[in-house]
Amino acid sequence: MTAEEWLGRLTTELHRRGVAPDAVVAEAAHHLRESGQAPERVFGPPAAYAAAVAESLLGPGVEPPGWVRPAAAGEEPGVEPPGAVRLEARGITKRYAHRTVLDGVDLTVRAGEVVAVVGANGCGKSTLLRICAGLTSPDAGEVHVRGRLGYCPQEGGTVERLTPDEHFVLIGAGRGTDRATARRQGRTAAAVLDWPGVDRSPVAGKLSGGTRQKLNLIMSGLGDPDVLLLDEPYQGFDKGSYLDFWQQVWRWRTERKAVVVVTHLLSELNRVDNVLELGR
Amino acid sequence: MDRDRRAQWLRGVLDLCVLGALSGGESYGYQIAQRLEAGGLGPIAGGTLYPTLLRLEKIGLIRADWRGGEGGPARKYYRLSDTGAETLASASAEWAGFAGVVKTFLEVATP
Repeated sequence: MTAEEWLGRLTTELHRRGVAPDAVVAEAAHHLRESGQAPERVFGPPAAYAAAVAESLLGPGVEPPGWVRPAAAGEEPGVEPPGAVRLEARGITKRYAHRTVLDGVDLTVRAGEVVAVVGANGCGKSTLLRICAGLTSPDAGEVHVRGRLGYCPQEGGTVERLTPDEHFVLIGAGRGTDRATARRQGRTAAAVLDWPGVDRSPVAGKLSGGTRQKLNLIMSGLGDPDVLLLDEPYQGFDKGSYLDFWQQVWRWRTERKAVVVVTHLLSELNRVDNVLELGR
Repeated sequence: MDRDRRAQWLRGVLDLCVLGALSGGESYGYQIAQRLEAGGLGPIAGGTLYPTLLRLEKIGLIRADWRGGEGGPARKYYRLSDTGAETLASASAEWAGFAGVVKTFLEVATP
């Protein structure tokens, strides 16, 4: 890897971790120029160096940019008060044969909030999301959505014989967006998820599982939805794309969208506004 | 000597050594690395040095500003803050005490 390539990769990796790259990259470039040494010898791999820098500046783990922790009881309130209720599910109950999967579940998500839905396998996380998305009917309970809805399923959701561009056009048609705009929006969202050359991509059936999930995630965000329902959308993502995914979630939060993420990764729970634990 | 042990020692004192390297006046990253190496600490990788500098800057023990070099691009210069100088002075005394204690144990162990 040349110094330029290494610095380019460092820029990407710093972005991913919410660190403004300019000063860090300039300083590293300066050091490399003066020492004349190979970047990997001096700094190690770009991702590892970016992680060390992020930890020095932000503390351990990924801290979202502009993150303001929601106020706990008795604390000073956060800068952004919670917005209007965007998604409200009341008393959701669902039975399959003789098994009750969901029993009177309530979920309220406001604009600018991220809520994680957690619980063991088979506890009804995906079912709850499908009910909120209007794809499955509950046996009891009501769902109210105020605004437009974007939904990212855990798998499926793509059409094998269509290219990503054709998917963008298809979703755009449903959103009332013209073809060129839909393609442009899709490609921009793909670039954010570190998916270059999406316009030359083969049909969805030829993509890896992780890349198909990126496509799903991009489609859920097209047309500027107010509510995003994301069902473990990062399956098959590598570490970098996984970080990109959470950056995207936090950007949506900053844009005052209501976001629901089904997850089993407990390490992310201290960085969401609310947690709904199912199956207890 | 055991390289791992030496690396562990360095982890514990590198931030103090960086403060010490700046006690003689402001400096920039590569020059600090050279000062540390010339002082006998061995080569300090940039991947270790810069995160340490960022951490020290963040907690206010050093200050930094960007200035243009002669004809070259701007460099980030670091200098000790007042708190940094105080920290260095007290840590220096503590280290001397600590090293003295360790020394007594190591001397006893040698027949």
